[in-house]
Amino acid sequence: MATVIEPLDPRTQPARLIAGYPQTAVRNPAQPLVKRAPTLSELTGPAGLEGRVKLLGGDIAGHGAKQAIGQLIHLRLRVLDEDGAPVGGAMVEMWQANAAGRYTHPNDDDHAPVDANFHGAARMMTDDSGLIELRTVKPGAYPVPTKDGWWRPPHIHFSVFGRVWLSRLVTQMYFPGEPLNALDRIMNAVPDPASRGRLVARLVPPTPELYNALAFEHQIVLRGRNATPPQQ
Amino acid sequence: MIFCPTGEATLGPFFPPRYVDEGANDLTKLEGRPAKGEVIEISGSVTQEDGAPLDNLVLEIWQADASGIYRHPADPRHARADPNFLGWGRAATDRDGRYRFRTIQPGAPEGRAPHINFMVMYSGLMRILKTTLFFDDSNDPVLNLIPPSRRKLLVAKGKNPFEFNIRLRGEDETPFFDD
Repeated sequence: MATVIEPLDPRTQPARLIAGYPQTAVRNPAQPLVKRAPTLSELTGPAGLEGRVKLLGGDIAGHGAKQAIGQLIHLRLRVLDEDGAPVGGAMVEMWQANAAGRYTHPNDDDHAPVDANFHGAARMMTDDSGLIELRTVKPGAYPVPTKDGWWRPPHIHFSVFGRVWLSRLVTQMYFPGEPLNALDRIMNAVPDPASRGRLVARLVPPTPELYNALAFEHQIVLRGRNATPPQQ
Repeated sequence: MIFCPTGEATLGPFFPPRYVDEGANDLTKLEGRPAKGEVIEISGSVTQEDGAPLDNLVLEIWQADASGIYRHPADPRHARADPNFLGWGRAATDRDGRYRFRTIQPGAPEGRAPHINFMVMYSGLMRILKTTLFFDDSNDPVLNLIPPSRRKLLVAKGKNPFEFNIRLRGEDETPFFDD
């Protein structure tokens, strides 16, 4: 199947340079990016990654005496292309802080406590309907330790492999109704309000099998559409 | 109906180290079976504006096999792709900003010179940075988009092992692409 990639509308994507996020100023190119029309090299991409790396299941909140501390959540994440068609067999990597806002990572030397029952990482393949499901806890907010820093709102990181190289996406998902959302320098780097809104998960009624978890749905749209869509 | 692609965001400083799986930077075999072609090693450093090396930065590569075929259905020749070559790898930089890949010398895809696509993901990068490594300054339609004075920055130095340094900003800044 051939994939068509069209230029992105820059208003739907974050600014590369962000005032108050000093690392952006020293790590982004000063020279203009060179525009290139995609060739076969960028319109192909890795498949079968599950044979190359280790998958980690989506139930990461633990059970019984080993249940992680925090508000249990059930997240249904759907991966689509620009036609709205599900992207099955896409590898999704997620990572997040624990309920206290602490990551299981050597770089996180914040004072917030670790939770021995929570490591905050899952790596899964989407099913044919583009779906992955996570049972996790709601991440806590945490301070960014730069000069004049700010607090990151609760969020979950996603790294997604689409059908082709140019569909590769690294993004973050936010939670509805969080006062820190309006103050976040990373989320608000996206100029278009509707595009920012699409970074926020939707609260939905809990499912019977996970009645004790707050339920959310979220949609991730990867670049690309089918060059030969099926006849209606 | 056209759906709008999701906004990118930085990888941040807390990408789980376990996601840089042991051996993910070695493309020369798949499930223990060796790929066809010449094994090459590519290493280099990744630095920011002041020249400081960047630790724990994530690089991914994508390339054709030794015959210049991509293991992907969009390549008309993909049925003949090397079954033991996936074409994808991931590496993280160490404290000195160094990374290393072991791979197979790619063949020339149709209409292109041999090359390897790179992605750079890191804290402070709100968008993935994309560039391409070449093995010489041969006639390639993508390399030719770069102003002549900067083309050498995309050509790997040496002859196996190759050196390919990535400077995100500043002197001898690596050219990056907007696709």
